[in-house]
Amino acid sequence: MAIHQLVPSLVPGDAMGLAAVNFRLLLRRLGHVGELYAEEFPPGFASLVKPARALRPGPRDLVLYHHGIASSLSGMLLHLPCRRVLVYHNITPARFYEGTPLWEPLMSGRAQLAAMAPYCELAIGVSPLNCEELRAAGYRNVHEVSLFVEPRRFGADRSDPILLAKLGNSAPAMLCVGRVMPHKRIEDVLSLHAELLRLRPAARLWIVGSYAPGDAYARRMLRMGKRLANVRFFGRLAHAQLVAAYRAASVLTSMSEHEGFGLPLLEAMAAELPVIAYAAAAVPETLGGSGIAFTEKRFALLAELVDEVQRNPELRGKIVLGEKRRLGQLSAETAAKQLEAALGTGQARAKVLRRRRGKPRIAIVVQRYGEVIGGAEAHARLIARRLAGEFNLTVLTTCAKDHLTWANAFPPGETKIDGVPVIRFRTERTRSMVPFNQLSRELFRRSNDRLSEEQWVAEQGPSAPALLGYIEERARFYDAFIFFTYLYSTTAWGAPLVADRAIVVPTAHDEPPLRFDLYADVFDRVRVLFCNTPEEAELVRRRYLKPARIRVVGVGVDSAQGDPSRFRKKYGIDRPYLMYVGRMEAGKGIPELLRYHAQLRRGEAEAPSLLLAGSADVEPRAPGARYLGVISDSDRSDGLAGALAAVAPSRYESLSLLALEAFAQRTPVLGNAESRVLCGQVQRSGAGATYEDFESYRDGIRRIAAERGLMGRRALSYARQHTWERVLSAYREEVRQMMEER
Amino acid sequence: MRLLGDAFKQTELLSRLERRLRARGLWADSEQSSPPPGVEGPIEPLSFNLSALEEHADPTRPMPLHTHRGGAGRAVLFAKWVFRTTCQVFINEALARQRVFNGHVRDSYAQLSAEVLRLRAEVDKLQTASAKRRSPRGRRV
Repeated sequence: MAIHQLVPSLVPGDAMGLAAVNFRLLLRRLGHVGELYAEEFPPGFASLVKPARALRPGPRDLVLYHHGIASSLSGMLLHLPCRRVLVYHNITPARFYEGTPLWEPLMSGRAQLAAMAPYCELAIGVSPLNCEELRAAGYRNVHEVSLFVEPRRFGADRSDPILLAKLGNSAPAMLCVGRVMPHKRIEDVLSLHAELLRLRPAARLWIVGSYAPGDAYARRMLRMGKRLANVRFFGRLAHAQLVAAYRAASVLTSMSEHEGFGLPLLEAMAAELPVIAYAAAAVPETLGGSGIAFTEKRFALLAELVDEVQRNPELRGKIVLGEKRRLGQLSAETAAKQLEAALGTGQARAKVLRRRRGKPRIAIVVQRYGEVIGGAEAHARLIARRLAGEFNLTVLTTCAKDHLTWANAFPPGETKIDGVPVIRFRTERTRSMVPFNQLSRELFRRSNDRLSEEQWVAEQGPSAPALLGYIEERARFYDAFIFFTYLYSTTAWGAPLVADRAIVVPTAHDEPPLRFDLYADVFDRVRVLFCNTPEEAELVRRRYLKPARIRVVGVGVDSAQGDPSRFRKKYGIDRPYLMYVGRMEAGKGIPELLRYHAQLRRGEAEAPSLLLAGSADVEPRAPGARYLGVISDSDRSDGLAGALAAVAPSRYESLSLLALEAFAQRTPVLGNAESRVLCGQVQRSGAGATYEDFESYRDGIRRIAAERGLMGRRALSYARQHTWERVLSAYREEVRQMMEER
Repeated sequence: MRLLGDAFKQTELLSRLERRLRARGLWADSEQSSPPPGVEGPIEPLSFNLSALEEHADPTRPMPLHTHRGGAGRAVLFAKWVFRTTCQVFINEALARQRVFNGHVRDSYAQLSAEVLRLRAEVDKLQTASAKRRSPRGRRV
């Protein structure tokens, strides 16, 4: 059973769209997959959202339709051949918009709400007020699932530093967040500010929220604002800037005459900002005793109140503490429980898996598998091959071969690789790197809301909804799931579905996406993280304050001793050489390596050659470097055994398989010093050197050449500590524990 | 005026603020209001849709002039007004058939919705009668 969501509009800054994305997070945590469908969304969101008209649910599927102002989707919902659920986000009373174009869609939205009642088996209100309105509109099975914010997204470290620096000074600042619309009563906020100016002439007012420049009300408010000192209309702000505004302000105020929930109140609480709000509609429910709600707009008295909150640290501290408590009550965990109760799926999930006879069933989930080149993919294959004998193991993967495009290259369905059953699922869309890189540049330089991060993961791919659907469907069939690489959607969206039985091998390194809060569902919630090195474990602990249990497991090495003379003869090599084996990609540090090596050869004619082997879209060329193409496993062992050193130029490594293989061949490693993992491997082994510029590259080679014999012995001794038996026993132990817990 | 919240004693805080106001000679505030009622009543869809169809059945009747755009938006509004005032006769001509069609849609909807209401009432009556027959007290001996 899939649970799809249908929203009229999914655009950045839209509360309903954000709620749909947050619901998706909850649904994943409850073990459900489903797609987002919207009538309106920006072109860049095509990977995350599908057009509403493409929704084709099955009879057992659930469709959650998010309703607000009038939408043609309400009519569409009535005719969908599936089970229907209405999620109600409230509709502003039309009385605020008499005589404006908004009156009709507001009225119509309410009429649609009543019209849908007999056709929905369940209705969800995002606040008690909304639940009451649903009951009044004729809904019988009504449940509350409150909206929530992710507090960590509003931490001080998520502020845009430039805006924060601009806004930050000692003068008190009152913040109002919401669209500039009549029912938000911006004129009352301005009146309050006018009173506050009489008390504190330096007082500032910031109004954050979108407005149409031609709208008569907005123009009137802008004119009013100009007549007062220190008023600034920001318009809509990006997430990091919004956090900066919350963090720089001294109080959040709301004069709104109608709020169906009041998400900015929660955001302010998360940013440790005292809230003072008019007790209209759902505001008292949302505050739940935290902040300060007031029942009359006596502006002079309210100005005194704002001043008191700004200047009385004791009162301020108590308010912030109360808000923190309230935020805990309105958490994602609470919402997930409410949603589970509403959907009635809790019983099925709580049912304990019975112990079975026979081998435990294990699924390895990885983005690509088989004839593909990639560290994590090779890692998954090594583990699968070795675990297949003792477990009933299946690999779940995509039909993709190329991790850049995710184009389907293998046939879908069941196959066997190395005797291991593999089920392949088709990818639904190919990735275009130009827009993806552009999106990455945009998101990597600031903190983001969930919508942006979900969009990034959707663009990252691979988009394989059938694979996720299979995990949901067979969640109870498998005793354990092993996910490889945190970065891809197969893990980011797959692991939360079976978090209590998920072993994740994150292969994390210090890269911008690791800072996305979206990955907390992988790093914080799964059963155990199998890190490859102590450096990776340390990185995860630094980034996630309460990560899941971590074990340093990695891989083993057992390659047979290579034959250097065979390699030299086959490739006609008669001088010392350095060797790199892997993908020829900029992200792997290849351009930098070629540059340093060319410089080395220009200065020293006798310097060793650089041999490069592996797949390449464009053949790497540089003086002193030679590209061998893709080589066999035995050539790889032979080549590494004869090399002066193996070069590991990538700065992004969670474990260098190349380094381990080289060590097993008694060959030292020259690694990129910017990779903590490589530095750790080189330091712990005492078999190699690291480089960060040309000089250290040259000196590293000289040092290795001088101590080649000693380093070779140290390399072998280090490699012998990494046995497969040690690695596999960690997997066995976790699976055994999971079985025993039943 | 009430101040709601768990972080303070309401009366204490309120009287402190009012004392300060009095000290400034500002006891009485001119503007006062109280929160409007929260829950909005439902709107019956059949009658709302009928009235909306009636309201918009004539496509030659202009919608109120409105723009979300600043700057050039005002000029566009003016151009629209000029177009409407000078070209109404052509607008009427172009939309004549649409007007007839909309009238038929409105009338059909009025008849169909009336029929839905009549059938609902009939179903209610039958269900009530059936429930009475099933219940022991309603059963004839």
